[in-house]
Amino acid sequence: MDLKKTQTKAFSNLIASLVLLAFEVWVWIQSGTIKTAKNAAVQPATFPRIMIIGMGIFTVILLIQSIIKLGSMKPDDPLAARAETLNFIRDKGVRAALITILLCCAYVYFFKSLGYVIVSFLLSGIIMWMIGLRKPVPLILISALVPLGMWLIFYKLLKVNIPMGPLQFLRDLVDKI
Amino acid sequence: MDWSLLFSSYADVFLSPTVLLMTLLGAVGGVLLGAIPGMTATMGVALLIPFSFGMDLIPSVGLLLGIYCGGMYGGSISAILIHAPGTPSAAATLLDGYPMAQHGEAGKALSVAMFSSFCGGVIGALIMTFLSPLVAKVAMKFTSAEMLMLAIFGLSVIISISGKSIAKGLISAFFGMLLCTVGLDPTYSKQRFTFGITSLKGGLSFIPVLIGLFAVAEVIAGVERIVAGKESAQAKSTEKITRVLPDGKTIGQIWPNILSGGIIGTFIGAIPGAGGDIAVFVSYAFNKGASKHPEKWGTGIPNGVAATESANNGCSGGAMIPLLSLGVPGDSVTAILLGAFIMKGIQPGPMMYVSELPTVYKVFAALMLANLAMLLVGCAGVRIFAKIVSLEKRMLYPIILVVSLLGAFSINKNVFDIGICVFFGVIGWLMNKYEFPLSPILLALILGPMCEQNFVRFMDLNHGNFAEILHYPIAVGFFIVAVGVIIFSLLNQRKINRREAEALAQAKAQE
Repeated sequence: MDLKKTQTKAFSNLIASLVLLAFEVWVWIQSGTIKTAKNAAVQPATFPRIMIIGMGIFTVILLIQSIIKLGSMKPDDPLAARAETLNFIRDKGVRAALITILLCCAYVYFFKSLGYVIVSFLLSGIIMWMIGLRKPVPLILISALVPLGMWLIFYKLLKVNIPMGPLQFLRDLVDKI
Repeated sequence: MDWSLLFSSYADVFLSPTVLLMTLLGAVGGVLLGAIPGMTATMGVALLIPFSFGMDLIPSVGLLLGIYCGGMYGGSISAILIHAPGTPSAAATLLDGYPMAQHGEAGKALSVAMFSSFCGGVIGALIMTFLSPLVAKVAMKFTSAEMLMLAIFGLSVIISISGKSIAKGLISAFFGMLLCTVGLDPTYSKQRFTFGITSLKGGLSFIPVLIGLFAVAEVIAGVERIVAGKESAQAKSTEKITRVLPDGKTIGQIWPNILSGGIIGTFIGAIPGAGGDIAVFVSYAFNKGASKHPEKWGTGIPNGVAATESANNGCSGGAMIPLLSLGVPGDSVTAILLGAFIMKGIQPGPMMYVSELPTVYKVFAALMLANLAMLLVGCAGVRIFAKIVSLEKRMLYPIILVVSLLGAFSINKNVFDIGICVFFGVIGWLMNKYEFPLSPILLALILGPMCEQNFVRFMDLNHGNFAEILHYPIAVGFFIVAVGVIIFSLLNQRKINRREAEALAQAKAQE
């Protein structure tokens, strides 16, 4: 297979279908661990297995379509267009997306200990800086005021208790007012 | 029908300052709540029900219906502007609403959504007024067989929302159905795919998955595009909104979609257990199939917004039908309303039409008023809401992210849900990148539990003999319609592909 074909959407479909097939085999094996129920017309594992089979059938169809396409693809075919990449070393866009994902993971991890306002301030501030907002005043103001405003709406109006971490005193202050 | 009583009840409601004020307040609250991803109309009604304790029945019903109708429209605001449906019923609105906003037509999309939502609500209220006992009789004949086939009928529209590759659309749909099986099995409480994680026993929470797939995925993709230089960080919309309601030409173009959407929404809403989230996809698929230019659907046309928004608010009238005539709530909001009626000493049901007829008519009037209030609030807010897209993208994306993640948390007050939201954000980003459509997952997540529960119940009742379904004529009818929809959608997709190929060839020839 020449280099050009490996960069096409048809090839990315081929890889996606192989990944999906591996996923389906794994889920099928996992479904074997579901306990059975006595005197049941439909076992708890039956419905998920029907779904895995359905998913598998269409994955095989996608795989076959991709193989056929790769064999007889014309240059003007929509599937001959360049596929999206996940190469974070070469593509700075993908790198930024991955950093955003990692920041979101850190957000989840620190949500309880640092509280919503602080983690949101850090997350939005870093993302704003990363995508080009370098003016410190709007960056800091937006990153701080939006989470604070949202917290106030959720806490006071919607009665949703949100972790505040070290800023717990704000809740007491608002309660007093 | 007692016309004089009907008119006097409408007059009582429309001329009562307290009812007017409460309904308007409800509509304001509903629109604002609906616009926040994660906050649904149900939550709004549940939050405000304690405030209605001290009120008379009709003002409190007006307040709650105002939230209900307002929430239905409010959900579309964030779907159109930031690709994050505020409520599950607005999930299909983003198919055309978001592309419209991206083409600089955010104001138009919002006004079409508001007008269609209003019309759908009025259609629902009118059908409720004149046909409720009849519709309720049909809806209550639904057993597990009919519900199963209704779910399959709902799933048959997947091909219509699959985009270019039907195989990819169906993979997404089966993946969505598989996700529904995570947690305790609903019949025998056996653990499935929980991997020892306690928080997964209750299954995947729908709202965090929805927010992740659409809002978080869009933010990740947006950051990628801006950094790669494929998208400007500047605001896209420079649209000047000269009118808050759609012009005559647009209304002329969308009225068939509004009418059919309103009727579909009302009838689906009248079936207990089925609501706006199903109706919007059925209406979208129906209207796309009936369109002369199905290839334009999903590219940002007002018809797509009209078809879905009229259906979701049509449901508000539909859901009231079984509530009032049978005492059976059509959805979660009407279940709360049922509680409000009982608290006031009124038991909805067939006898309500005999002993409490003036109250029934006043509830009809309150629903009509709630729709008017929603229109009023919507008109006042279109210009303000549309300003959101005029924010710079480098400010907008981080704001969407922190608001969305908070929305995911607020459902169960559980940090695990934020993790689920981020996880599905990554899944959504990858699926978008490799052109796997997201809407089929959503539809599958909505219909999956309904499908499985009724399938298991039906099989248990019939000792594992599926052929027994042939003894249920309504179920067979739904199945035949579902097969028809699949065949029609396949033919329609071929037409779309052919037209796109012709357009591409034409463009190349011109070059």
